Amino acid sequence: MADGLGQLPADDGQVPDLPEAAERRFSEGAFTSGLTVPDFAACLQMGLEPVGYVQGFCVMQWQWYGMGSPFGTFGSPFSGGTRGYTESWQCPHGYVSAEHRGWGQNYEQSWIEDAWHQGFDGAYSRMLEEASAAGAHGVVGVTDTSQPLGDLGVLEFRVQGTAVKVAGAAPPADGRPWTTYLAGQRLAKSIEAGLAPVSIAATVASVRVWAYCVTEYLTEGSSGSWGYQSAAAEIDQMSKAHMAVRRIAREQIRGRLDHDSLHGASMITSERELGQGDAELQCILRGNRVRRFKAFDPLPAPRPTVRLL
Amino acid sequence: MSDAPQDLPEGASRRLEELEKGLFTSDLSVNEFLLIKEVGFHPLGFVMGSSIYHTGIQTRKWGQSQELTKLTGAMYEARELAMTRMEEEAAELGADGVVGVRLDVNYYEWGKDAAEFIAVGTAVKAESGVSHRNKLGKPFTSDLSGQDFWTLMQTGYIPQGLVMGTCVYHIAHRGLGQTLGSAGQNVELPNFTQALYEARELAMTRMQDEANELDASGIVGVRLEEKSHQWGSHTIEFLSLGTAVVKTSDQVTLPTPLTIISLDN
Repeated sequence: MADGLGQLPADDGQVPDLPEAAERRFSEGAFTSGLTVPDFAACLQMGLEPVGYVQGFCVMQWQWYGMGSPFGTFGSPFSGGTRGYTESWQCPHGYVSAEHRGWGQNYEQSWIEDAWHQGFDGAYSRMLEEASAAGAHGVVGVTDTSQPLGDLGVLEFRVQGTAVKVAGAAPPADGRPWTTYLAGQRLAKSIEAGLAPVSIAATVASVRVWAYCVTEYLTEGSSGSWGYQSAAAEIDQMSKAHMAVRRIAREQIRGRLDHDSLHGASMITSERELGQGDAELQCILRGNRVRRFKAFDPLPAPRPTVRLL
Repeated sequence: MSDAPQDLPEGASRRLEELEKGLFTSDLSVNEFLLIKEVGFHPLGFVMGSSIYHTGIQTRKWGQSQELTKLTGAMYEARELAMTRMEEEAAELGADGVVGVRLDVNYYEWGKDAAEFIAVGTAVKAESGVSHRNKLGKPFTSDLSGQDFWTLMQTGYIPQGLVMGTCVYHIAHRGLGQTLGSAGQNVELPNFTQALYEARELAMTRMQDEANELDASGIVGVRLEEKSHQWGSHTIEFLSLGTAVVKTSDQVTLPTPLTIISLDN
């Protein structure tokens, strides 16, 4: 069962040393496992022995300031500083006033994406370092979160999981352990289907929306004096932003797969409203990067089950 | 600790006496009850222990991240007392162990800086009469559900004790100079990373020390909880909890899992 849980090429991520407490934890007797008991049992069944609960953290100073400024009447669209997506709208009214938004723009906040990756990838590689220190072949049941810490204006990235060894296998070569969000039962199914875990994959896309007059009025729900219907109408600028943020996330994750496939992906898009019509969209896409190691064996026919839960 | 309650309250003794006559109370669900019976245990009664603890205060340095050892000690000691009292109730019933243990902390209006720590669970005893008490001669404790208990027993492991480790940590405030120095950038704050990492590792190492005292082979179902309780956002308790297990046999009686594509979700 444990074939397909082989080694991966090393990478050059630089990480700080483990704290003293961590080294002591891995050098002493009892293993720790963050798995539920059914997942624990399923892992033992697959020949995976838990060696330790491993974790990595990265605390980032975090502010959602944007570059550029509201364009107001006379401003022109922001250019430069971002790579990738940018799109702008111009007021159709030909009306000039200090309160009228003449320009609107959507753009990708690539600096936010870079910072997110610095935090996430930093925490991830530290978790890998703990796993390597414990002599693990892989890490199962990975969870990741990013949470603001108190009122400090900082965001803490956490990546945690249970490091496992393949029973009876040679110690891992100097490669890095494989990782997966899946644990016992679902991992077993994935391996049975011929897909070996390679690593978790996650990325973020961030798009800033600066509303122009039309978007502003439509999100207000008032037609104003501009002749727009306050009934259902598409808010073009918002729709485009939502489509863009998802598309960027998908493109980015593809760039991280390197010919492997992504399984069990989840996409979470959130919107932070910054003002009337102004918003920041964030899309986090994560999943399991897997590689086929044996031909697909048809799985058993689906059947209804009656269980004592 | 001279004025600490040593004996079980009168109410408890009466309740436990009745339990000894054969009637049992338990908060197990029907399935949990059946599985515990199936694996050869009988529930004896719902047991609990509590401790109202004055956790006190400790001065912290505004700009320094540090462990608050007094608070760490208090939080640990208080839970340990609640657990010990629950174990005493279980021992009184002649139990081999306690399953489904839950540890809670409650705050009340009447007690400033005081908290009630409470441990509850269902005491069980092996029907075969073979003792399953742990290395220290006490009933084992575990936060496993009935289902988890059954599954674990089939893999050749048995629970030894609910183990925990805690670390109360103060996170430094950042001076204006530091904040301005990195204004306008989203950058890593390595000191914070390192401090929080250290705090969690301390909690986990302490949990593991408890497991080693029980000669456990491992800890399953590890959880790492974080709470600020009533200390404000800069002081955080990191609590790590899990069930220490020992491998008693290589014989795995768990049926070979069968891959099912289930029709429910």
